[in-house]
Amino acid sequence: MRYEWRAYYLDGQTAIRHPATVRLMRDGLEVGTPGGWTRLWPYGELRQTQGFYEGQEVRLERGGELSEALLIPGQGFLESLRAVAPQFGSHFHDPSRRGERVRLTILAAVAIVAIIGALYLWGIPVLAAVAAARVPAAWEEQLGQSAMAYLAPRELVCEDPRRQKALDAIVARLRTGAPASPYTFRLFVVNDPLVNALAAPGGYIVVYRGLLERTHSPEELAGVLAHEMQHVIQRHATQALIQHASTGLLVAALTGDMTGPLAYGVQSARVLGQLQYSRRAEAQADAEGMRMLLAARIDPGGMLRFYDELAKADRQPAMLLKYFATHPSPVDRIERLKALAATAPGPPVPLLPGTDWNDVKKMCSPSGP
Amino acid sequence: MEESSPGSSASFLRSPSPPPSGPAPPPWMPTDVPPGAESSADRRPTFHGSGGTLLGIRIVNVLLILVTLGVYYCWAKTRVRRYLFSESAFEGDRFAYHGTGKELLLGFLRAFVVFLVPIIVLSIVRDQLDVDPKIKTAAAFLISALFLFFIPVAMVGSRRYRLSRTSWRGIRFSFRGRSLAFISIFLKGYFLSGLTFGLYYPFYLTRRQAFMVANSYFGNEPFGFDGDGWELFRSFMLSILPTVGILGVGWIARGAGHPWIGNFCILLILPTFGLSWIWYLAHKRRFFWDHTYFGPARFRSTVAGGALLGLYVVNALLLLSTLGLAWPWVQVRNIRFAYRYLSLDGPLELERIQQQAQFASATGEGLAGFLDTGFDLG
Repeated sequence: MRYEWRAYYLDGQTAIRHPATVRLMRDGLEVGTPGGWTRLWPYGELRQTQGFYEGQEVRLERGGELSEALLIPGQGFLESLRAVAPQFGSHFHDPSRRGERVRLTILAAVAIVAIIGALYLWGIPVLAAVAAARVPAAWEEQLGQSAMAYLAPRELVCEDPRRQKALDAIVARLRTGAPASPYTFRLFVVNDPLVNALAAPGGYIVVYRGLLERTHSPEELAGVLAHEMQHVIQRHATQALIQHASTGLLVAALTGDMTGPLAYGVQSARVLGQLQYSRRAEAQADAEGMRMLLAARIDPGGMLRFYDELAKADRQPAMLLKYFATHPSPVDRIERLKALAATAPGPPVPLLPGTDWNDVKKMCSPSGP
Repeated sequence: MEESSPGSSASFLRSPSPPPSGPAPPPWMPTDVPPGAESSADRRPTFHGSGGTLLGIRIVNVLLILVTLGVYYCWAKTRVRRYLFSESAFEGDRFAYHGTGKELLLGFLRAFVVFLVPIIVLSIVRDQLDVDPKIKTAAAFLISALFLFFIPVAMVGSRRYRLSRTSWRGIRFSFRGRSLAFISIFLKGYFLSGLTFGLYYPFYLTRRQAFMVANSYFGNEPFGFDGDGWELFRSFMLSILPTVGILGVGWIARGAGHPWIGNFCILLILPTFGLSWIWYLAHKRRFFWDHTYFGPARFRSTVAGGALLGLYVVNALLLLSTLGLAWPWVQVRNIRFAYRYLSLDGPLELERIQQQAQFASATGEGLAGFLDTGFDLG
């Protein structure tokens, strides 16, 4: 046990460092300088501000904002202090607990990995679902509109008022199969050979030319539309965007870079194009879409035929067939849809009677005479 | 605009008023020299911390930030600064950082109210509301104006805050430049650099450095800066020259029917520009430090382009091979690098120094957190 230590004294007024001696007393430190004065610094008035790490001198401050300070370079000072004045132990750092600190840090690292894994797998999806359900429909429409500038640029949208009217009639018929929702559905056909369709928040549905031309009847398209409309009604797209943005925030929290999430949020509109909904969202859109078809008295056979055909074609290496890349696991889905279709309440009422579907589906080619 | 030069308070280390430096070695041996008699040999700052400890601090910080939904961020920042400052020494004495997480949080909240709220409101007017296009244009203009106004305010504010919370031998540093004065330097630099296609930029950098350094104090004693913009301008131009030359050769070769020479020149541009830019950055660092003085003592930097290139390359390799986990070691490497090439020559008349701390709020620091002013690494 050492009671006397060499130290430096800083008076808080000048930049001169005075050599000093420090004596450990029962109630405080007795500080003395060669200049002659000796003072008692009660332990209760001291703050330790440095000396928490290996090799750092201990720094004790006393007084207000611009304090006096003592620097004690020697090893073992804190241990002696604790032994002399154990009642002030919690006031000062305990070097013997440094090993424990390392163990706690390792535990913290494990906890971080666990928290991040949990957030990513459960936390963010649940949060996004809760948040998406509370986003006003008008905001969703804004969001969808800005995403559409990228997903369906004006120069790529096929415009043909006559055929568009026929397609809009399918959408209108589907609307009768679902309870009222705050969305106005707008259907855009994009001149692109991809076999795919997608939905943006707020009621925007995009069908690519490739998919439209592959259908054989309005009922087949109605099946695809019902599925996409359900993504809108169930707010899956909004949810996915929120999820994407929250992941950006999580990355920012980890790296401490706050400029990231802004960029992340901006580009999320683009991401809509390649979004993968969860299996649950897909199953829900399938089931609710089928219910909508049946309630609107549309023949569910069209949806089943079209899925069947795409699923078969999917086994062939067709680069353009994107529908099942963004809408995975076709076979189970078709089985489940068949079961649902068997519950049809009555005979179907044909869609677009007296319209030549082979003409309508060529919407992106100039219309014939 | 990456900044990592003396006055710029890039990471605290080449930071707050140039840390005076000294033959630190026997760090804590009581070999006191009577005041005033301090020798005029070159003094160097030293760093005693380790990447491992810093990683530990950061791990705990990340956990607490996650658990507190981000609120702990302010305390985390303060903890890292405290550690880095307390492991930095000059003349055998460690620096101390006195900032607190609470005041930083309050600074963030104030900055949020005065800066982010108006920006958000104006953005809604610009992008969402159904109003006259003229009002939308005005809102867009106001947003840019607010940014131009707040960036210099944040640069000065964060420097004022950080210096006021830094001490050495119990004496606080301070910054006493007026925000308005810097706003005019900044706006002039911004517009003249644009009008002259960047030619004015080195002059702006020099003026900014002069403002930042000459208004920095240790106790009652100011630092000084006597650099001339033309010197920086010369190396700025020299660093661009090889790239321009290669571009010219390539262009002429293409015109003369040798497209492969042209393509070769395009391949050369990136490495040429990269290397000459690093050479320029090293020169800028030397220029800034060599013209910084404190009383009769003057700073001197011997950093060379090759050393800087080595630092960057190894840092990049470290970060890539560890997916960023080596970040604390990179930070420590940067600090040690900065100290290694820096010294303070001439008499340090410490007996003249009196405590003269200045008040500074953390609002500017909060602002700097929102705006990427390029002035912040810490």
